[in-house]
Amino acid sequence: MPKAYYQHFMAKKLVQFFNPGNAVLYLLGATLLFASCQKENSDNRHAIEYWSSNNGGEIKFAQWSVDRWNADHPDSPVKYQPVPEGQSSEEIILAAVVAKTTPDIYSNIWQGLVEFYSQSGILVPLDTLDGFMEFIQSRCDSLTIREITSSDGHIYQVPWKINPIMTIYNQRIMKEMGLDSIPVTYSAYLQAAENFKKDTDGDGYVDQWFGNTSVKLAWYQRLFNFYPLYLAASGGMPLVKDGRANFNNEYAVEAFRFLQTLYRNNYFSRQVESAGQDLFVAEKYATKWTGPWEIEYLEKYKREGFTYNFGPIPVPDGHQGPVYTYCDPKSMVIFNTCKNPQLAFEFIKTMLSEDGDLQFLQTTNQLPRRKDLELKPAFQAFFAQNPKLQVFARQAKHVKGADNCEVLIEVFDILSQEYEACVLYQTKTPEKAVADAERAVNVLLGN
Amino acid sequence: MKKTLPYLIVSPYLLHLALFVLFPVVFSIVLTFHKWNIIAPMEYVGWGNYWRLFNDRLFWKAILNTFQFLLVHIPLQIVIALALAYFLNQKLFARGFFRASFFMPVVISGVVVTILWQQLFGLETGLLNRLLINMGLGRVEWLSNPNLAIVSIAIMATWKNVGLYVILFLVGLQTVPKSYYEAAEVDGASSWQQFRYITFPAINPTFFMVVILSTLGGFSLFIEPYIMTDGGPLNSTLSAMLYIYKQAFGYYHMGYSATLGLFFAMLIMMVVAVQKYAIENDE
Repeated sequence: MPKAYYQHFMAKKLVQFFNPGNAVLYLLGATLLFASCQKENSDNRHAIEYWSSNNGGEIKFAQWSVDRWNADHPDSPVKYQPVPEGQSSEEIILAAVVAKTTPDIYSNIWQGLVEFYSQSGILVPLDTLDGFMEFIQSRCDSLTIREITSSDGHIYQVPWKINPIMTIYNQRIMKEMGLDSIPVTYSAYLQAAENFKKDTDGDGYVDQWFGNTSVKLAWYQRLFNFYPLYLAASGGMPLVKDGRANFNNEYAVEAFRFLQTLYRNNYFSRQVESAGQDLFVAEKYATKWTGPWEIEYLEKYKREGFTYNFGPIPVPDGHQGPVYTYCDPKSMVIFNTCKNPQLAFEFIKTMLSEDGDLQFLQTTNQLPRRKDLELKPAFQAFFAQNPKLQVFARQAKHVKGADNCEVLIEVFDILSQEYEACVLYQTKTPEKAVADAERAVNVLLGN
Repeated sequence: MKKTLPYLIVSPYLLHLALFVLFPVVFSIVLTFHKWNIIAPMEYVGWGNYWRLFNDRLFWKAILNTFQFLLVHIPLQIVIALALAYFLNQKLFARGFFRASFFMPVVISGVVVTILWQQLFGLETGLLNRLLINMGLGRVEWLSNPNLAIVSIAIMATWKNVGLYVILFLVGLQTVPKSYYEAAEVDGASSWQQFRYITFPAINPTFFMVVILSTLGGFSLFIEPYIMTDGGPLNSTLSAMLYIYKQAFGYYHMGYSATLGLFFAMLIMMVVAVQKYAIENDE
């Protein structure tokens, strides 16, 4: 094709493509395309939209709850889906908030994030709904209600489930060491650790440790080592109180010192476990701090004859009173995009009814956060059949969630930096690390 | 219609440019004067974010770490890439296989490579340390020694990216006429003299491109420390990009993060300009 003819041909085609008659057709096509993309959003057949986590057990439970509700309430059905896939559910929820595509109800929000969302005005204050206060008072004790009450005096979350952090231990190893169960005080724990650590292959390096906890710097890792130890030592004291750091005390210092000793003396491993590697199952670690999710995992992957049990988080010598721990609490919230918050709350109530919670327990092996967990006969029967979970149910009476602080993630990040310097690298004394963390947190909080 | 046609033809590009380049740049600059957590309304803070940047010791530490990484990564990458390219430019058995093999890590996902190297670098059960111990040598704290962690990451990043620069150098080497070498041999030039006075000047444009590309790649160091160390130990692998990311998506300090990003972009432009000046003047 000659060049001049080709240029003329292409120009003609382009003019045809952009002529006004065709433009109307393109516009129509684009409109249809956008309309088809938005079909799902404009679906008004459902009264409430609900997102759960994408954990298998929780999906099963959520589907059960929705099916039951929809059968009983055909005029106001609930549309359900697990939270869309992403790096983390928090990221997805944030994206949905920005795009204003949040569901009416989300059931897996970390308690520590609720203050951030509520202060940004995107959650429904649940205490303004009919029957909420009666409901929450019947479900939770006064400590829990105080814990979930926001700094503005409103309640934006329904406490749903907890997974208390406890010490899991290898029963065979404890027995061989002449111990009936896991040592509870710092000094007994450290003594047992000294007796257990070993270089089994003679290469000059310890390869059998008393325990392991994450050495990663990520803020949330401190929820599974420093924070439970601090709560256990202090009887559940908050990290942040009245807008100031509240942790520069003997409990935090002793928890840092205890952890520092574990690493300095090689009682704990610095190894970052890779996927598919479990040195607790391989009996290279005797203990670790974990939640009830470990039970299902171990029952699936443990070797024959491997026996384990759970005990409390270690406490300082001479500790008096109950041993508290962190409970990894997750709540339900209603977003302010919800057109009928009262109806959404009614649906939540059915999920958190006694039979709803029992179903949740049976399906997920996680604990509902309710004050009568050990008292109700239905739950008692379940725990009788699942004695390992009963240990967690007993612990559930003495648990703490997260403080109501808008910048809690940064508070934990500061603690994590000091944890690394003091505990893992011993470049600071526990006193200095805690004092530095306090100073940084107070600056962060504007003091 | 004929007058408007050219505009219509370029309009998709202009639209794309406006939406995905100009708008984000302008919005970022506006953000630098605000405090914003994505969901609450923006709050004007004037030059507050800029003052904060100059007083933020962790940010300057992250900048220093990034330069330390570049200091190891760029020379290592260039030397290895050039040596491999020189080697692969010879008539070798299975040359195509080797070329493909060296390029393979470039096309593997950065996340996969990072996880793989994390296992290799493992302190107690990592393959590298098991090998060293079996050889009677002591183990190395690849990722847990604050003085070594950034070097370990540079080694890994070099392994991952070197294939791309091998290809670029290969292209450069193949443009050098063979007659130059034949003439040099007749004049009695040694191999080093041939490389110094023929090869190197001839591949100078490629060299410049490799330096610029690896500098830009090095400045965007993110995945490796994000997955392997989260910036630790003791912030020794906290790169500028990782810090900016943490400010934006860890703490939702969008305004401050935009300020850091803008400053960092200026810094990169300055460094690249200096490199360009140095290499062109050398030429």
